[in-house]
Amino acid sequence: MYGFLQHLINGLAAGTIYALVALGYTMVYGVLKLINFAHGDVMMVGVYVGYAVAFLMGREHFGTFAGVMLVFLVSMLACAAFGLLIERFAYRPLREKPRLTSLITAIGISFALSYGFQLDLAVNLGGTSYTLLPGAASRAFPEIIVPNQWFEFGSDDQSVIIWNWQVISFLIAAALMVGLQLLVFKTRFGRAMRAVSFDHRVAALLGIPVDRVIAGTFMLGSALAACAGLLYAIKDTSVQPLMGMYIGLKAFVAAVIGGIGNVPGAVVGALALGLCEEFVVGYTSSSWRDAVAFGFLILVLLAKPEGLFGRVQAEKV
Amino acid sequence: MIRGAAPAILAAVGCIALQALLGEWAFFGYLASLVGVNVILAVSLNVINGMTGQFSIGHAGFMAVGAYTGGILSLATAQDRIGVLPEVVSDQLFLVGSLCAGGTVAALCGLIVGLPSLRLRGDYLAIVTLGFGEIIRVIVQNTQALGGALGLSGVPQRAGFGMVWFWVFLVVLMARRLAASPHGRSLWAIREDEVAAEAMGVDTTSYKVRAFVLSSFFAGVAGALFAHFVPIVNPGSFTFVKSMEIVVMIVAGGLGSTTGAFTAAVFLTLLPEGMRSLFTTLGGGDPSLAQKVDQVRMPIYGVLLVLIMLTRPQGIFGTHEAWDAVARWRKKARA
Amino acid sequence: MSDAPLLEVKNVSIRFGGLKALSNFSLEVRKGDLKGLIGPNGAGKTTAFNALTGVYPPTEGAVVVGGVQINRKASEGQGLFSRGAMRPFEINRLGLARTFQNIRLFKQLSALDNVRVAIIARTAPLFSAERTYRMKVAGGFSKFAGRTLETINNYLDWWRAFFRTPGFLREEAEVTARADELLQVMGLSHRRDELARNLPYGEQRRLEIARALGTGPKVLLLDEPAAGMNTREKGDLMVLIRELKDRFGLGILLIEHDMKLVMGICEQITVLDHGETIATGTPAEVRADPKVIEAYLGEAPGAAA
Ligand SMILES: Nc1ncnc2c1ncn2[C@@H]1O[C@H](COP(=O)(O)OP(=O)(O)O)[C@@H](O)[C@H]1O
Ligand SMILES: [Mg+2]
Repeated sequence: MYGFLQHLINGLAAGTIYALVALGYTMVYGVLKLINFAHGDVMMVGVYVGYAVAFLMGREHFGTFAGVMLVFLVSMLACAAFGLLIERFAYRPLREKPRLTSLITAIGISFALSYGFQLDLAVNLGGTSYTLLPGAASRAFPEIIVPNQWFEFGSDDQSVIIWNWQVISFLIAAALMVGLQLLVFKTRFGRAMRAVSFDHRVAALLGIPVDRVIAGTFMLGSALAACAGLLYAIKDTSVQPLMGMYIGLKAFVAAVIGGIGNVPGAVVGALALGLCEEFVVGYTSSSWRDAVAFGFLILVLLAKPEGLFGRVQAEKV
Repeated sequence: MIRGAAPAILAAVGCIALQALLGEWAFFGYLASLVGVNVILAVSLNVINGMTGQFSIGHAGFMAVGAYTGGILSLATAQDRIGVLPEVVSDQLFLVGSLCAGGTVAALCGLIVGLPSLRLRGDYLAIVTLGFGEIIRVIVQNTQALGGALGLSGVPQRAGFGMVWFWVFLVVLMARRLAASPHGRSLWAIREDEVAAEAMGVDTTSYKVRAFVLSSFFAGVAGALFAHFVPIVNPGSFTFVKSMEIVVMIVAGGLGSTTGAFTAAVFLTLLPEGMRSLFTTLGGGDPSLAQKVDQVRMPIYGVLLVLIMLTRPQGIFGTHEAWDAVARWRKKARA
Repeated sequence: MSDAPLLEVKNVSIRFGGLKALSNFSLEVRKGDLKGLIGPNGAGKTTAFNALTGVYPPTEGAVVVGGVQINRKASEGQGLFSRGAMRPFEINRLGLARTFQNIRLFKQLSALDNVRVAIIARTAPLFSAERTYRMKVAGGFSKFAGRTLETINNYLDWWRAFFRTPGFLREEAEVTARADELLQVMGLSHRRDELARNLPYGEQRRLEIARALGTGPKVLLLDEPAAGMNTREKGDLMVLIRELKDRFGLGILLIEHDMKLVMGICEQITVLDHGETIATGTPAEVRADPKVIEAYLGEAPGAAA
């Protein structure tokens, strides 16, 4: 019983993080019908930015509100800018080309980032060496939120623990998701986004600045991903170049399960995946963790390929 | 039927002769086998990614299935002989059996993966195949009977480069004949416009699945061949990196061109191998420099993909084939 | 038997979100018919074609092709175990072929190959196509068995292509001859080996028709086949369409933007506006209908379809 509760809590905590990443996939798919393979790797870059900021900021600011805010904000801004760059120089020139070209480009970017970051590269300037590329080894992520058990229930060997970072991630993720929902349905930008996702050529005819809306969507998705990546790194207490690929893939699976293009669907899919993974790992062995998501994906595609909340979209003929 | 099979029979004779001539030259044999395996992988992946316009990025997964199936089979039958035949012939027959078994099991996996994902749009296949590759890796690493993370050793080293290149010939012949058949035309039609193809009576799903199964079969054979000339088969040989390597080959060669896939596979296999030897020599026998170069290869592949898409999305050959050019040239010469 | 309708459409409706693009659309096409479907831009004409050919399964109503109802419950998804409506290729094999308003040729294939794709030359190596088809229609286990046999057939068929068996080569020659014949009928023989994307616009439209004829249809749906042609080309095409009807024993349903042309060659016309059928009848009746006049006068003059 305690074990079950603990798995439930851990699963939900993991699920909310997947959800933030999944939102990025779903939004970009919504406006461009492109699986942005590089999304997870943009997230990874964001985590390294956060790592660098925390490192420069110094240990004494860890655990303070201002310190945490600084790390998150800088990392999210950097990621938004990075997402914008990728959209502008890699995807926009290919927008009217066959879909396969953008997909291959996305795969290429993902590959370049996740393996580029595995190289060791440092420059020596004035005696100090500056790391440019971090190398393949996993690094300990600074404890910007000092781990603390906020809640403990039960006796020593049979207990449920809720950590402070779990609660904080949950709150941040929930706030961002609510904010996103408001943005999509209550603002002009959201309305424009929905118009573009319906048909970007028609939207352009109606005077909607399609380029700006798509760029904005990328920035938004990338910022959310950076936030998710930081939360994940805090939970995992480590950061490594391949994390983007793995988390990204799972988040993508979550988006497909929920019905890609559907914002609440992505959240539900991510929570379902987080729980599923946690329970499978909890009751069997952690070495099967990576297989769960894809097994789940294949089952969903077999039974309900449009996802739980997605609708079959016929191509306009 | 006999006439149709004639090129394959000739090729078999040629490959046996070459193997007899050059079989003692181990370095050449190893390199030629490596190139051959990559050519089989690239040409077969081109059937689904190039000709059909779907996008699989998990070819290494099918290769792994073939490698482990073939490897286990050959391990189990390592001591068996067909009594009346000379040892070499008996061994090679067992090898062919293992190769076909590897291909068949990979093809079955292709069916299982392809059926749910190929009814949807092409990009789902990308994700599912990627996932498949990962699942295979996880399964292998967790199965002691397959050697776990350490890998499978002791598979009899029966595959000479002659055998490998015989399969290279088969896969190229297959791709060429497929392209010139009603099936190939239907695959092209699917690549060009799926809605129109369907409206013209092409059962798009069934064609896509069959193309994918065929592609997986040859990936399995390539894996099985690989298992029979490398000392250890381990999960590290079949990662996402391997899949990406093949994808880069066919994209650079020109999606849809068998000639392009072939050329790019040869070139992109020899180039890093050559660089490795060069930098090992430059480093005075110290392999660390060569390893560095090896690491840089992967990000370069990624950047290469992006650059090709932005500047020349049709790759080197586009959809042209060398034999078409030859045919045109002969026609002109005759006229 | 000969006067049973080849295509029967009963009260078909299609909804896109809140928009009812087609409502209560009914129509019959018999052998030898040449019917017209007209209406202002956005009236739902192309949507009607999409409903008939299975591109969008109808929300309501029934479409019967050659005695077989092609749509079942539209609400069913596309999962492996829940295939509701028939797929477009199955409908095509029942004898319904179409062209596309926004030309959808296989651009990188030659004109000849465009037509050859459509010609299904399938002599089944083991089990006759008719038999597997009957098994599939029977449903239940028989459907499963039929599909399995068909799959085996398909794989065996690939082997024939790889080994270039005499049967395969003979068939290929037949297919090519038939494709050449269709190209000649449509006046495209001189373009045989050119890529479809390099053909001039008018010829692309004709190639679309040749391709549709390649599937051996009983009913042909033409979506604005003369769009973008000049007056003389249009006239020639209309004559050709009438010839096709007689030569191949077809029933034809035609969408056309040029009112005069339609009035000239169609025996019966259906007029759509905002998805509603506002008139049906002979050209004379339709022309006199006040609702039709209003629908067209409501548009800018000259834009009348
Ligand atoms: N796939 C689709 N999704 C949403 N709306 C559509 C779709 N296809 C057509 N429509 C709408 O249905 C209406 C009818 O379109 P259509 O059938 O193409 O008209 P036309 O009579 O000019 O051929 C139009 O308003 C069009 O925008
Ligand atoms: Mg129309």
